[in-house]
Amino acid sequence: MSPMWGSVEQYSTIHWSWAIAIYLFLAGLSSGSIIVALLVKWNRHERSNSSIWDAMIKAGAVVAPTAIFLGLLLLVIDLGRPLSFYWLLLRYNVTSVMSLGVLFLLIYTPIVIVFMLLVFERSVIRHPILAPLEGLINLVKSFHSYAKVIEYFLFVAALCVGSYTGFLLSALYAIPLWNSPLLPVIFLTSSLSSGVAVNILVGLLFFKSALNTESIKYLLVLDTRVILTELPLLALFFIGLFYAGGDAPTAAKAALTEGFWAGIFWLGVIGVGLGLPLITVIIALKSHVYRVGYIVTNSMVVVLGVLMLRYYIIYAGQIYFG
Amino acid sequence: MEKQYRLLYDENLCIGCQACSVACRVEHNVPDDFYRVQVHMQTLGIFPNLGMRYERLSCVMCENPPCVSVCPTHASFQSKDGLVHIDERVCITCKYCILACPYHARFVNPLKNVVEKCNFCYDTRVSKELKPACVTTCPTEALSFGDMRQKNSLVHQKSQKEVLLFPKEHLGTKPKVAFIPSRKGVKS
Ligand code: SF4
Ligand code: SF4
Repeated sequence: MSPMWGSVEQYSTIHWSWAIAIYLFLAGLSSGSIIVALLVKWNRHERSNSSIWDAMIKAGAVVAPTAIFLGLLLLVIDLGRPLSFYWLLLRYNVTSVMSLGVLFLLIYTPIVIVFMLLVFERSVIRHPILAPLEGLINLVKSFHSYAKVIEYFLFVAALCVGSYTGFLLSALYAIPLWNSPLLPVIFLTSSLSSGVAVNILVGLLFFKSALNTESIKYLLVLDTRVILTELPLLALFFIGLFYAGGDAPTAAKAALTEGFWAGIFWLGVIGVGLGLPLITVIIALKSHVYRVGYIVTNSMVVVLGVLMLRYYIIYAGQIYFG
Repeated sequence: MEKQYRLLYDENLCIGCQACSVACRVEHNVPDDFYRVQVHMQTLGIFPNLGMRYERLSCVMCENPPCVSVCPTHASFQSKDGLVHIDERVCITCKYCILACPYHARFVNPLKNVVEKCNFCYDTRVSKELKPACVTTCPTEALSFGDMRQKNSLVHQKSQKEVLLFPKEHLGTKPKVAFIPSRKGVKS
C-alpha cells in the first residue's frame, strides 16, 4: 500500500526510544543487584572469611537505589508531559501493566532505601556530613528487628520490578516481537545476570579487600549459570515467535536477519553479551587463573550485553512488524 | 451501550480523492504531516490489466480497545456509547496506547503534545446528531455512518445487503468501522 497523499511518518515512528531502553535496563539492574545481594546475604558462605560477600551486599545496597532513581528520572523525562506525571500516582488502571509497575515501584523504592540505610547504618552515623540524616537513621534503626521481614518483602518486590518491564511490553498484542510470554522471564534472567556482574564490579572497585580465589570462582560459576539459562531462553523466544500466528514469524525472521538491529542481536547480544563472557569464564576456570582484570572486564561486558538486549527488543519490536 | 455506531467504507465506491482526509484536517485542525485518517492505494495486476485497491486507515473504534486497557491514567476511555475518547487533561503522553493500537491510529499532536486520533467527530458533530466530516464530504458516498439500531438507516441496510469485513478481525478488537471489499476480484 502506498499513500496517495501525505506522509507515512506516523505509521513508523519509534515511540519508545533510547530512554525507555535504558529505563528497562536500569530497572532490571536495580532489581537484579538487590536480588543477588539478598541471595548472597542469605546463603553466605560461613567458611569463607573473605569480605567479598560483604562487598556484594554493599554493592547491591548502593547500586539498587541509584539505578532505580536514575531510571525513574528518565522515565518521567521521556513522557510527553513530564509535569503531569502525578496523574500516574492519582489514577490507577488495574488492567494496565504500567499502573501495576507504578504500584510495584512505589513499594520497592522506599524499601530499597531502608535496606541501604540498614546496610550502611554504621558508616552513615560515623560521617559528620551525614549527621542531619540522624533522625532518619534512628527511624530506620527502629526497623532493625524487622530486618528479615523487610528483606523478604524486598525480594518479592524486586522480582516484581524485574519482571513487570517484560510484561509491560508483552501485553501489547499489536507488536509481534513483544507479545511473547517469555519476555518477562528473559528480562528477569538478564537482570540477574547484570546484577551479578555489577555487584562484582562495584564490590571489587569500592569495597575491595583481600580477594580469595574460592569466592571468585564461585561468582564466575554463578555468572555462567545465568548466561547458560539465557541462551536457551532466547532460542525459545524466537522459536515461539516462529510458531505463533499472524505477523510474528515474518517479524521474527526480519529481526534476526535484516539491517542494523539484526547485527546488534548477533554481534552485541549473542556475541559480546553472552558468548564472550562464556569463553572468558571457561578459560579462567580451565587454567585456574583468576585475575582481577579478568573479572572486571568480564563484568563490564556482561552489563553491556544486557543493555544491548533491551535496546534490541525496544527498537526491533517497533521496526519489524512483519 | 446506548448507541451502536458503525462507519461503513465501501471500497467499490472509493475513488481515492482524499476529500475525507482534507475534511478531517479542517474539522480538527490536524497539524501538518499527521493524519487522523488516510486512504492508501495499491495497484494490482499486470499492465494492461490494472486495478486499484483502496484502504482506509484510521481509528476503528474497537469494542474491546487495547488502547483503553493499557492506559495507566484512564485518559483513554470508552464512553457509554461505546466510542473511544482521550481525556487530554489526564493524558501524560506516555505513548503506551499508541503502541497498543494494532491499527496505528494514534499519534502525538506536536502542537498540543497530547495523543490524538479519529473520534468520529463526536465533539463537533455526532453529539449534535450530525454525521462525521469525512462522511458528509465524500463525493461518491463511499462512507456511511449511523446507529445500527435504526433499522431504516443506510448503514443498517447496507450492512444487511453486503459482505462486511472488519480490519484485523482475528485480534478480537471488534471494530466499529467495517469495509465492503472490492467486488472486482484480483486482477491477473
Ligand atoms: S483503533 Fe486503535 S485507537 Fe482506535 S479504539 Fe482501536 S485500539 Fe484504540
Ligand atoms: S499516552 Fe495518554 S492516553 Fe495514551 S496511554 Fe498514555 S496516558 Fe493514556
